[in-house]
Amino acid sequence: MRNKTAERRLNEPRPIEVIADGSGEPLAVVLGGRRLAVEQVQDRWRIDGEWWRERPTSRFYYQLELVDGRTVVVYEDLVQGRWYAQKYA
Amino acid sequence: MRTACILIPHFPVAIERADNPSLRGRPVVIGEAFDGRNTVLDCSPEAEAQGVRVGMPLRQALALSSEAVFLTPNPSRYREVADAVLDALEAISPEVEEQEQGHAYLNAEGLTGHYREELDLGEAIVRSVRAASGLDASVGIAEGRFPAWAAAVTSSTSEVCVVPSSKEREFLAPLAVSLLPCDLDTLRRLDLLGLRSIGDFAALPPGPVQAQFGGEGRRLWELAQGRDSEPLRPRRREACLTERLRFAEPVVTEEALLVGCRRMLIRLHSRLQGRSARRMRLRAELWGGRSWERIVVFREPTGDCDRMLFIVKSVLAAVQLPGPIDELGIELSGLTGEKGKQATMFGEKAGLRRQLDEAVRQLKARWGRPLVSHVVEVEPWSRIPERRHALIDYDS
Repeated sequence: MRNKTAERRLNEPRPIEVIADGSGEPLAVVLGGRRLAVEQVQDRWRIDGEWWRERPTSRFYYQLELVDGRTVVVYEDLVQGRWYAQKYA
Repeated sequence: MRTACILIPHFPVAIERADNPSLRGRPVVIGEAFDGRNTVLDCSPEAEAQGVRVGMPLRQALALSSEAVFLTPNPSRYREVADAVLDALEAISPEVEEQEQGHAYLNAEGLTGHYREELDLGEAIVRSVRAASGLDASVGIAEGRFPAWAAAVTSSTSEVCVVPSSKEREFLAPLAVSLLPCDLDTLRRLDLLGLRSIGDFAALPPGPVQAQFGGEGRRLWELAQGRDSEPLRPRRREACLTERLRFAEPVVTEEALLVGCRRMLIRLHSRLQGRSARRMRLRAELWGGRSWERIVVFREPTGDCDRMLFIVKSVLAAVQLPGPIDELGIELSGLTGEKGKQATMFGEKAGLRRQLDEAVRQLKARWGRPLVSHVVEVEPWSRIPERRHALIDYDS
């Protein structure tokens, strides 16, 4: 049996500051203390949690190209109303 | 988890003063004057008031506090007292973790049947520590390690501070932000941002904190909220083999010491019965009542007498012995279960795997906790990315 404390999840979402417009679409993100405008939204998709889980999951993901050329994936947690960054493959 | 933090401030100085009451009230500096590092190991509050700090070169400490009493460390005595304190704490709760000498955590969960209130538990801890060591401890009791430590460190010696459940954040809020366990650079940045108290930091939203300070910032933010879920790692009693040799006359020459070490290693080799050891503690009782010790973690476990003697020679050649030696001791620990080394028929790969397994075990023996992990699939089909893979300890 695995020791519970010995197991750590990989690719945990990291809280991120996102500036969004009235419809919830990201306009800019803050990375390393710098505010970077979104050049374009490359993709968007929604994930709703598996029904058998105790805690409901509802996320709206955006794959963004930023003004400095970087691509980041962020999502809005529709349950908590918070933004997170996360690698998505 | 309700946790008690037990702190004996300036532990080495407290022991020196308990053993020699004439040192009370005088600035005391304990330094490693004889092993080439020449740094301050501990100092009394009086020396601190004159600018002396732990880790500072001894020469600088001497310039700052010329009237201080400078002592060489007495590691065997410190270990003996620290063990007595831990034994006393284990009589109160079976789960006791030693963070460092003079700083321990105790699982205070479920002890209310024995003590009317947590304050009574705290006072019982202070009494037990005093009975076992003659030293005064401060005790903090709270939910989790960091709030308990903050409660202990802000209390006077012999004082008990109990933080009621779910009041951790309020308790921490007025305390200085410098109490958070972070490096100097982070502290400087917190200061530049005008964050003076833990409450100032806790009031920030977590997103910007993490964006500014990274993952470490997130952990500090959680601590500032009074949340610390890091579990206790109770001390494990480990099998070890010890040999001691008392000289008829105090010995000063390296050759005489090596002859003594060889005799002890031969005896230890026969007691190992084919097994190997991962660590060796070389200990000397010095003429005049002080002590000296070195711990060596072998690159790979060994039970070979000549190899261990070679390591002892290297250690003795690298240090300047602090004085005549009355008694010498060697302790072997981290004993392996296997009595031989299995050779492999199947090429390099199996050998590399065995070397890797061994290196991981050595790292664990050296640092006391697993440091290497590997990735396992948990729910690779999940659409939620963090549910797909996990890191588990390499040897789990």
